[in-house]
Amino acid sequence: MSDQKPNKKPEKKPDITFFHPDLLEAPADGRAPYLKGYRCKKCGQLDFPKLSPCPSCWGEEFDVVPLSRQGKLYSFSDNFIGQAGMKTPYSFGYIDLPENLRIFAQLEGEPGSFRCDDDVELTVGPVRDNRDGVPLISYKFRKLNSR
Amino acid sequence: MKLQRKVYIAGVGETKFGRHEVDFDVLGRAAALEALRASNIDRPTMVQSAYVGNGTNGMVTGQTVLKDLGMCGHLPIINVESACSAGGMAIHLAVRDVAMGLADVAIGIGCENHTLHMAQGTAFATAMSDIETVHGAVMTGKYAMRAQRYMYETGATAEDLAMITVKNRRHATNNPYAWFKGEISVEEVVRSRVVASPLTLQQCCGIADGAGAIVVCSERMVKKLGIDKPILVAGSVVRSGPYHNRPRDITGDDITEETAAQLYEESGIGPQDVNIVELHDAFTIAELLYYECLGLCPKGEGLKFLRDGNATHGGKCVVSPRGGMLSYGHPIGASGAAQIAASVKQMRNQCPGYQVDPVPRVAMTHVTGGGLSGTEHAACTMHMLVSDW
Ligand SMILES: [Zn+2]
Repeated sequence: MSDQKPNKKPEKKPDITFFHPDLLEAPADGRAPYLKGYRCKKCGQLDFPKLSPCPSCWGEEFDVVPLSRQGKLYSFSDNFIGQAGMKTPYSFGYIDLPENLRIFAQLEGEPGSFRCDDDVELTVGPVRDNRDGVPLISYKFRKLNSR
Repeated sequence: MKLQRKVYIAGVGETKFGRHEVDFDVLGRAAALEALRASNIDRPTMVQSAYVGNGTNGMVTGQTVLKDLGMCGHLPIINVESACSAGGMAIHLAVRDVAMGLADVAIGIGCENHTLHMAQGTAFATAMSDIETVHGAVMTGKYAMRAQRYMYETGATAEDLAMITVKNRRHATNNPYAWFKGEISVEEVVRSRVVASPLTLQQCCGIADGAGAIVVCSERMVKKLGIDKPILVAGSVVRSGPYHNRPRDITGDDITEETAAQLYEESGIGPQDVNIVELHDAFTIAELLYYECLGLCPKGEGLKFLRDGNATHGGKCVVSPRGGMLSYGHPIGASGAAQIAASVKQMRNQCPGYQVDPVPRVAMTHVTGGGLSGTEHAACTMHMLVSDW
């Protein structure tokens, strides 16, 4: 970016800030990304996404717990009519993690390729464009061993 | 909340549902005026409180609806929003006012115009501050996930789901207020374009405009107005949806089950006594699941209930006799009020060509609202209505 000319708009690059840092950790050293669970220090309840105060006891201190990267696809849908401004088709589903948490997430893979109770794993990718038209990166799931 | 004194429906009004060139306020005013005239009310000052349900048309919608009827100034007008439950909730609040003795005459209105204001070819989503919405959630896809799981667990097919559309459109055939009506085959429903797998276009309610209005009053007032077919509001329940972020069975619907249980308890009327139901059939799968959630049949027997003809004329309980949302379309703020208006007309034998026979004595309505992450629905409103003559 050092050779940028003053009159030229900086080229748009993918937004590398994740939707919310409380949700997802993607270590810079290349280690696998993980979702961040929050365990209430007062009552022990584990939640995702972060709920503060804890909805069970209103505690405000938490331990961050890396959540399992694999889960089961409880259900899903391939969407051919979507939200205004989103390219279709796109798929999403509920993923049940071993920590007894259910995650709503977009699915990476071809429409028509998913089945209930598929084993899926966490990945990271664009979920939509932000208001400037650059991709917003967040957590997604894909079929296990699909790559 | 158990009703503390008797509340009656005096009169109802509804517009035709569909695409309207006039905005929500004109629709709401038309339904309100019809309901007021049907209640033998001949001047604006007789009404003591008003609640106006609307989902998307902006601020002070109620005053906008009612000012041209001369109803602004002397009475409180309260605007009610809870997505698809807004209209039902407005009626609930009017009922409350009468039950608690705050008013002898109150009106609840639901009105909405989507088509003047919404981009075509898009689906409803909730606020961008919602974590599921940011990740692409739409209501069609969320119901589709319920359908997907239901089919996976029970072996139900796309053709099974399609039977709901076929039934409801047939019910609506001669209903002048319904939009999509008449014969449609299972094949046509299944072959229509996929909106959110496994749901096809003909399994989704249309985005429509319309309004409904209900005038409720006390026992003393219903006599004074000379209403010859008063409808007793035997129960009126609003609940909010419990939050979950853990695995749960989405072929059930906790908020509907809890609201129904409360309604049955407070009204003293059980599901076996209900003659007709208008429920939240925004998508085929919803009606199927709600047979079970409302206790019209045992858990796991929804499909059998449908196949055996128990949800149509001649069956145990005629579900969606007006044609439901699958025929009316679903102006989100209006539907809950229109369900009640249509049910009252059935109970008064005012539905030529689509009248349930024998004329129903007990009717129930059910409308949920809002896709909030972690809840099945943000709100649920139900009413139990009984003929009292
Ligand atoms: Zn806690």
